[in-house]
Amino acid sequence: MSIMDQNGGSVIAMVGKDCVAIASDLRLGNQALGVSSNFQKIFPVTDRIYLGLPGLATDVTTLKERFRFRVNMYTIKEEREIEPETFAHLVSSTLYEHRFGPYFCEPVMAGLSKTPSGGYKPFIAATDLIGCLNFAKDFVVAGTASEKLFGVAEGLWEPDLEPEDLFETISQTLMNAVDRDAYSGWGCVVHVLTKDKVITRTLKGRMD
Amino acid sequence: MASADGGAYSYSLTVFSPSGKLVQIEHALAAVAGGTTSLGIKASNGIVIATEKKSSSILIDDSMIDKVAVVCPNIGIVYSGMGPDFRVLIAKARKSAQAYWKMYGEYPPTRVLTQEIATVMQQATQSGGVRPYGVSLLVAGWDITRGPTLYQVDPSGSFWAWKASAIGKNMINAKTFLEKRYNDDISLEDAIHTALLTLKEGFEGQMTEKTIEIGVITVPTTAELEEGKIGGETGRPKPTFRKLTEEEVRDYLAL
Amino acid sequence: MQHVAVPHAQPQQRQFNPYSENGGTILAIAGANFSVIAGDTRQSEGYSIQTRYAPKVFRLTDKAVLATNGFAADGNMFVKKVRQRLEWYRHAHAKDMPLRAIARLIQTMLYARRFFPYYVYNILGGIEEDGSGAVYSFDPVGSYEREACRAAGAASSLVQPFLDNQIYFKNQTPAPGTTHPAHLPLSHVLSLVIDSFTSATERHIEVGDGLEIYVVLAKGSALQGLDAIQGLSELTTTDDGERMFVIRRNLKRD
Repeated sequence: MSIMDQNGGSVIAMVGKDCVAIASDLRLGNQALGVSSNFQKIFPVTDRIYLGLPGLATDVTTLKERFRFRVNMYTIKEEREIEPETFAHLVSSTLYEHRFGPYFCEPVMAGLSKTPSGGYKPFIAATDLIGCLNFAKDFVVAGTASEKLFGVAEGLWEPDLEPEDLFETISQTLMNAVDRDAYSGWGCVVHVLTKDKVITRTLKGRMD
Repeated sequence: MASADGGAYSYSLTVFSPSGKLVQIEHALAAVAGGTTSLGIKASNGIVIATEKKSSSILIDDSMIDKVAVVCPNIGIVYSGMGPDFRVLIAKARKSAQAYWKMYGEYPPTRVLTQEIATVMQQATQSGGVRPYGVSLLVAGWDITRGPTLYQVDPSGSFWAWKASAIGKNMINAKTFLEKRYNDDISLEDAIHTALLTLKEGFEGQMTEKTIEIGVITVPTTAELEEGKIGGETGRPKPTFRKLTEEEVRDYLAL
Repeated sequence: MQHVAVPHAQPQQRQFNPYSENGGTILAIAGANFSVIAGDTRQSEGYSIQTRYAPKVFRLTDKAVLATNGFAADGNMFVKKVRQRLEWYRHAHAKDMPLRAIARLIQTMLYARRFFPYYVYNILGGIEEDGSGAVYSFDPVGSYEREACRAAGAASSLVQPFLDNQIYFKNQTPAPGTTHPAHLPLSHVLSLVIDSFTSATERHIEVGDGLEIYVVLAKGSALQGLDAIQGLSELTTTDDGERMFVIRRNLKRD
């Protein structure tokens, strides 16, 4: 049994038309035993970047704090907000610093990056537990239900979804994937990022 | 106590003189003031940094002397003062830029790099067994947040942003000259000519492409930025700082 | 004289592993009066592709189709034995075995090998005696169940939750005053099957090359737009019974 599956949990991020979405389940378990149905795995980094951390729960908490520290230091030192691409590299280098004794987390990021002409471009990325970056154009998944998420997302996702349609797509993908995963589920949370607001909704799911 | 050699407070760096001075820093400043003149001008669409390089003997191959140095694709530095100290600082600056790249996947903004260099220079004023760096620097760079910026760093570790500045032997005259010539919407081409004119003021001997070094920051257009920061053929970032070739310097001198 | 150490004969152990895993995925969906049974045609062992065309879906009778997935050698042998039992049945009873009886036969045959199982997941599809479309799914030792849809094999974890959503309408609330349909039309089912396999091909290395979709239509039912499907050929042998078709498609080969 892998350490990565000790506490369970899954995260997915998707690109839409001028928006991105990131969603996770809410379960915290100890192997087969359910412990909490309110365990946060997605954290806001800036107003325009959200970070999902599925994996070993203790490392989820530690990494969340580490990234908060590093992003705060960056913001103060550079007197500017970190951009999603830069943050993705920061995540990657932070994890690679522990190449031979890694954090058991596979981060998933979603954000809107500023373009030189002043617009916003959807951005998603994911890394493995030692920081190998994956910049996908459609969707990224991680966690104990990742295989199921890949299958459903590949079937449901389409390009240029409007925020509400993207919300429906990512919700259906996540809910149906975690329902087939014993280690994920117990409710979901979904964030949809648009240029002027973030929509956050908590979804009820099967409690078995 | 007071004597011509600086007295009892001149040997140990970490000791203030009763008047609140760190005399070694003043000596370092004197070393800078004895160095060849360098200057920088920020234009509306770029920055120029320039310096004169004088060799003590005609037997020295002056094509091997680099006084304007590239730190990373978006930042260049010129110095006045002690050459060897500059070389050490440049090596540290380049390392710092690469460390930043490793962490964030992009090169540092000018201000961040300048701060790093300034920190290195400050540490030499507060550590045991070392002396301050005998150089002043002009750091020219471009970044997405602040655009083109020009900084001066002194041996004390203090730094300022300038529209135009000069360091080294004729810095007082040169700065007065620049104050008269400068206006906010000067173009890069005009700035290069102003730079050469300013250098000419205090120049001893002939100004040629062998005795002048120029580096420029060119501000990319929005369209160029929209294409992304990676160049097509090389796969490396498109540079915004570059040194002018001897041919280019000769052409500017001819005008 | 020098002492020479004589090496002791160490005990040696040798082992033979009678099983292998040959990848691929199968899938079946039951409609009101039809049944669709599909499988890809790639056969692999580890990272090597053994062949790009090895059928995993087999016609058993005029109204029954069996898909096997797992260890190909066991699968082929199992189909051979089932067919033999079906022929004996025909000789004894002068008719084809009904679908529910085939399902029970398969359970018996699988459980007979409880302690040296056929390393195979089976899905049986076809038409019941009452004319309804049916799907039966089995585990390797004969545990079975009649369902409306089932995916098995290498990419089953990718396909099954998609089917839960699209066939059973899991996690979807019907509009007020309406209910979800119990059975989907044939054209809709076929596009879901094709989507499932293209998705699985995209994300799973053991799935791809070719796709075979068997369609069994209940006695007297219309073609339901089946004739417009590309790559269709009919396998029906009688004039008055169930009709059987196979659709052959290409999948990505990378």
